[in-house]
Amino acid sequence: MTDGSRPLLEGRGLTKRFGGLTAVNRVDFAVQPGEIVGLIGPNGSGKTTLFDCLSRLERIDGGQVLFKGIDITRASPHRVAHMGLSRTFQVIRVYRKMKVLDNMLVSRRWSGDSYLRVMRPSSSEMVRRARDLLEFLRIAPLAEEPAGHLSGGQRRLLEIGMALMPDPDILLLDEATSGVNPTLIETIKDHIRTLNGQGKAFLLIEHNINFIADLCTRVYALNHGETMAEGTPREIMENEAVIDAYFGA
Amino acid sequence: MMARVRDRLAQLGQGWGGLGLWWLLLAALALYPYTGVTHLTLFLGSQVFVLVTLASNWNLIGGMTGYVDFGHAVFFGIGAYVMGILVTKSPLLVSPEWGFLQALPVSGAAAAIFALLIGLPTLRLKGPYFSIAMLGTFVAMREIVRVLRPLTGGGVGLNLPPVLNRLGDYYLMLVLMGLVVSIMWWIRRSEFGQSLIAIREDEIGAEMRGINTTLHKILAFMIAAFFTGVVGGFWAWQNTFIDPDVVFIETRTVEMVMMSMLGGLGTVWGPPLGAVVIYVLQTVVWGRLFGIHLLALGILMVLLVLFLPEGILGTSGRGGGTSIVRLWGRIRQRSDP
Repeated sequence: MTDGSRPLLEGRGLTKRFGGLTAVNRVDFAVQPGEIVGLIGPNGSGKTTLFDCLSRLERIDGGQVLFKGIDITRASPHRVAHMGLSRTFQVIRVYRKMKVLDNMLVSRRWSGDSYLRVMRPSSSEMVRRARDLLEFLRIAPLAEEPAGHLSGGQRRLLEIGMALMPDPDILLLDEATSGVNPTLIETIKDHIRTLNGQGKAFLLIEHNINFIADLCTRVYALNHGETMAEGTPREIMENEAVIDAYFGA
Repeated sequence: MMARVRDRLAQLGQGWGGLGLWWLLLAALALYPYTGVTHLTLFLGSQVFVLVTLASNWNLIGGMTGYVDFGHAVFFGIGAYVMGILVTKSPLLVSPEWGFLQALPVSGAAAAIFALLIGLPTLRLKGPYFSIAMLGTFVAMREIVRVLRPLTGGGVGLNLPPVLNRLGDYYLMLVLMGLVVSIMWWIRRSEFGQSLIAIREDEIGAEMRGINTTLHKILAFMIAAFFTGVVGGFWAWQNTFIDPDVVFIETRTVEMVMMSMLGGLGTVWGPPLGAVVIYVLQTVVWGRLFGIHLLALGILMVLLVLFLPEGILGTSGRGGGTSIVRLWGRIRQRSDP
């Protein structure tokens, strides 16, 4: 459990280089328990790389990541997932040849299992949880379809469902509204609000600034891998450096 | 109608019904020797069981996990040589005949341990890099066996005690085949099997969602290697002679790949079906078109891959159902006025 005074997820001086290119340069940030934080910036500003560092997909070249006060800078990605950090991806990652329901079941929390357990089919309790989540996301009728048959928007919802399956403490959503129609964006927004009401924290990468403004309490703006500004959505939208670099004059 | 057939087939394959039918087939095969068959038929039967078992094992790592192993016959070779060395040189075995049964699990264990050692570095590689690394491992092991002459007999090989027991061999391979395919059925419907499919579909996604991909891949690799090693041990015993050129032969891996692909990669029943189909095709083509049999077999394979790219029982995210059912649907659609 996390106490209220300590950030749930914290990055201290995070740095990531790709050869001569510094994609993320000494970035500090924090997400408190139950908070919705936005991450904005122009293309190539280092948002997704920062996500990759936080979820341990990428090796970190400098700095530290703390999750629930535990240093996860060198932890393996599956270990970080076991601790309660889930994420989605800029390019949707679902198991296309598996059924929607199986996609959900295989995304459950894997920690603390004996091999005798995983050698059995999914428990009825897990199947019920998966079906409930699909119902919540309004894609339950597609449960028996291969994920490859779903539309882009439906796959987005499935990916969010897969991220929710292990009942995480924080969800990192990378452009969850990209390629999604306005009605579905409202649906995703509703889901995020509902889940946030249940105590889940969110870190959102978005280009849809209305989405960020409606949901987030705080926003970080990145540019060239560095933190350009931090504040409430209103403060960010009025920040001249952000306007110059991102919104345009 | 087609959808119903498709759903029934899928349910049958993954449910207890599929396993029940498999056990019925095993029971029928167990009674077969009492129908007055010859020793040659029993020998050929055990050879088919060997092919089915090998294809099923390869499918666990190549089909379900998506790591196309071009050197899988190395485990067969290790099993064969462990058997050969133990029955010819070990003083611990009780007798040649019973010693064979003692040595059989050791053959599998040696292959599984080797899979652990070689899998830790090679399973970090992706796609063709893994395939090539395993092919290199296979070739290297053949040379190691050739060089270790005091232990392996080098290029001269090893002669195992000739104990002719066709009926015993038949039943042993029948049990082994039954066990391996049943285990594959169990794995496929377990969470472990689902995680292997997830790794095949998107390894990064699987790791990010909490699956310890290294552990799961290694475990799958070791299970496949264990049973391939046991089959190698059995084959050495039945063949009574081993040398590097007959044991470490590339076509053995190629056969495993072909059988799995023809039957349906990643499915439980595809590789056994593919093994039987290829064995029958080889026999029929060889018997009737001798001289051009390799050409005929090659053309047949090309046609099968063209029209059934996912194998006979293979499924795809595009259309659902098995390939053969979809092919039949297409033929019927075209014939409808």
